[in-house]
Amino acid sequence: MLDTALFPLTWRVTRTRLLASPLTVVAGLAFPAFLFWVGLRDSYETAAKFFFFLFPYAFLVAAQDTVRTDIDSGALENVLFLGGKFRDFLWAKNFALAGAVGAYVLGLFILFSAWGLASDAFKSVHVVQFALGLLAGFYYVGLAGVLSYFLRAGSNVLGLLLAQSAALVALLFSATSRTGFLDYAASGHFPGLGSRLLAGGLVAVLPNLVVSRSLFVFGAEVLAGLGLTLLVQGRLARRLELGK
Amino acid sequence: MIEAHRLSKKFGSVQALRDVSFKIRKGAITAMLGENGAGKTTTLKVVLGFLRPNSGNVTVAPGRVGYVPDRPAYFPWLDGRTILDLAAGRASGNGTDSRARVLAVARNLLFDPALLRRRPGTYSAGNAKKFAYLQNLVAGPDLLVVDEPFSALDPPSIKCVRDIFVELRDAGTTVLLSSHMLSEMERIADGFIVLRRGTAIAHAGIKEWRLLRSARTAPDLESVFLRLAGS
Repeated sequence: MLDTALFPLTWRVTRTRLLASPLTVVAGLAFPAFLFWVGLRDSYETAAKFFFFLFPYAFLVAAQDTVRTDIDSGALENVLFLGGKFRDFLWAKNFALAGAVGAYVLGLFILFSAWGLASDAFKSVHVVQFALGLLAGFYYVGLAGVLSYFLRAGSNVLGLLLAQSAALVALLFSATSRTGFLDYAASGHFPGLGSRLLAGGLVAVLPNLVVSRSLFVFGAEVLAGLGLTLLVQGRLARRLELGK
Repeated sequence: MIEAHRLSKKFGSVQALRDVSFKIRKGAITAMLGENGAGKTTTLKVVLGFLRPNSGNVTVAPGRVGYVPDRPAYFPWLDGRTILDLAAGRASGNGTDSRARVLAVARNLLFDPALLRRRPGTYSAGNAKKFAYLQNLVAGPDLLVVDEPFSALDPPSIKCVRDIFVELRDAGTTVLLSSHMLSEMERIADGFIVLRRGTAIAHAGIKEWRLLRSARTAPDLESVFLRLAGS
């Protein structure tokens, strides 16, 4: 059973780490600046498309180095984590990360929505897209956490980005055929099991896609994926030992 | 306070511990002795829950447990003050009572409190060790487990730490030490556990140890240890 007394400690350690990382701070400041620039240069609607597709990556960036680096540093062999509490700490980090980045993107969404309301461009579907983007972000935290048991120092994030690149290249090849996968994705209608499985596989590595209307239906898959990654992390943590 | 029963631990094909059993009574200083690779640190880590034994079990009486590792490591982005706050279970705020206690313990350890503004990763090895003691002692442990208690410390600090162990024992705290410094252990320990190649080969209180010394006509703990360890 998770020791809830660890949450304040986990929250403080995680929050301080995010604020101490130049990468997360620069990315966290650059993202709203980029959206503002797109909104001014083009339109609020274009900026909204970028916002909903890109903000789940904030979770991915924050989820680098979550497990392996901590283990290898020896910092978990501390009085704070006696009696196997280091396992609970690593698991609770998922929630601390999701909470910290969730608060950041919620703040951005409020500002972004205020901008949309002021310019009469806000749409109610944006709330649904934001909720689905949050789900995709939480899934990133879970998935990067699983990978972080095996890969160190940001390699988990890099591995996931490479998988996404490979999936997108494969997708571009499919677009050369007359009724390619892109056409199905644009229409939101996937004829046959093959195209549905392909879409499911794509969403598994690129969950941001669920914010687009045509792939709404795969939100349940991302939710299931989130549950699965947390379950796998729980199992990996239970088997974990320090100082072998 | 601690009761270990037939602990065994394997790392791949290496048998690190084999049927290690011992009892450590409350309010005593017990020294765990052994050559490099004898299984001392592994035993401590099993007692503390960092490692799981393949067989056997260990029982630790309820209470606050402290741990000072041989080479302490910390999250590199936290400063000393924050780590002390976390150790004291206070995720926010700085109480004046706690500050006074930190200053008192730091003085006893010859640790400069100004260092708390810095990250422990920037400390010297000796100060990092003292900080590990500080982190544990401000919380007032019922059991303190220390791996190589005097490593990286200068002679004045060694004396201070030795005095702290005696004060802790007198206050009822149980202290378990793993060390190579036999002369220091002989001065403060109430009992000894000797490990050799993952097996506990001797477990004795100070009186039995002295009898053992005289029976073997050994002048000091080192001579007895070397004979037991077969070195």
